Amino acid sequence: MNPAAVFVLMLGIGIPLTFIKSVILNVVVSSVCLAYLLFCKVKPKTLLTMLLVALPLAFGSYVSQRFYASHDQVHIAWIYATRIIAYLNLGATLTLPNSVENILFNLAEHLNFSKTFVYGMLSSFNMIHTIRVQWKRIRYSALVRGERYRLFQPALYLRIIVVSLNLSGDLAQAMTSQGFSEGFPRSRYEKDELPVWQWLLVSILIVSYVACAIIFKPW
Amino acid sequence: MQTYDAKKKKKTWALKDVIFLAVIGIFFGIIYQVWSYAYYAMAATPLKPFANDATLGVWIMAGPLAGVLIQKIGSSVIGEMLAAAVEMLLFSSWGASTLISGFVQGIGSELGFAATGYRDWGKRGLLLSTLFTTIITFVWDLAQSGYMEYHLPLLTVLFVVRFISIGFFAGVLVAMIAKMVDKAGVLKK
Repeated sequence: MNPAAVFVLMLGIGIPLTFIKSVILNVVVSSVCLAYLLFCKVKPKTLLTMLLVALPLAFGSYVSQRFYASHDQVHIAWIYATRIIAYLNLGATLTLPNSVENILFNLAEHLNFSKTFVYGMLSSFNMIHTIRVQWKRIRYSALVRGERYRLFQPALYLRIIVVSLNLSGDLAQAMTSQGFSEGFPRSRYEKDELPVWQWLLVSILIVSYVACAIIFKPW
Repeated sequence: MQTYDAKKKKKTWALKDVIFLAVIGIFFGIIYQVWSYAYYAMAATPLKPFANDATLGVWIMAGPLAGVLIQKIGSSVIGEMLAAAVEMLLFSSWGASTLISGFVQGIGSELGFAATGYRDWGKRGLLLSTLFTTIITFVWDLAQSGYMEYHLPLLTVLFVVRFISIGFFAGVLVAMIAKMVDKAGVLKK
């Protein structure tokens, strides 16, 4: 499916998921998402790792509700534990099968996201390696002076801001030099189609999910 | 074709602003990774609600920091959303929840500055920003994280812990950073 349609689906299910208290629906959402991910040929090992990383959080939610919930502890505990997994799988349907570039271009193309934001984000994402190196440099340069930056020290953030300012200035200058004009339409060589049936499917899935929760109130 | 002017200040969002916040967002993504170890250690136990509230301040910082650095209407929401988008696309698979949380946190922070009529980006604006963020994120967690199932005394403790965390990281620390940035004059170039 087109990433723009998956994005709308992710939010369309994700927001009501916060308010719908149903273990069964959480399991259904998780299962459908896992099936979709496998259909998209995401490696089972990747899915397993993702689920294993989330398992401690789901366990934390479960025991917290068993300890502190004021009523119906078992049911409530399962709701919030399975909700964590449902959220994770739902998010993965967008991020695992699609590249960052593909997601952003399709959001701009089909959901009218600002091109300035899309290209600005893409250009900075391409610098992730440089940014990681800069992060190490910031810490090493402090160590050279016999200091160690902690997350609660403002000096660390000042260094981050200075580096970000330099990188963003250089990058914006380079992009403008290469012909990027803010607020002007841009064409793309290749376009991903978003057929009407995908919007229909997304609408049906969201409406069915909410209707199911309201009408049947599953456990 | 446009030409690049580093000194040109726009009311709308310029490419440089977006890249600036996205790069800061990536740095925050790295910080969140470091910070998440502390969160995970606590969150896998019955102390999870405390882990949420005690560590939340760091996740909130990107919004008010963007506000005090960019000083434009919407900068806190956009700053927080950009950080959330960076986190979603590069650092985690949480997708929907990351984006929605980013939006809720950004709105809270934005309301604080809006309450001053976008005239005070200093201590008063930050105080209101932390207060609104604490209230709005707490209300959101009543539904999302199941806080509404807890007893009132526990909720009171969690609210206070949350306010301390957000107050320190998104209030005091951001104010200190803004002061250092101002003193260094890096944004005046």
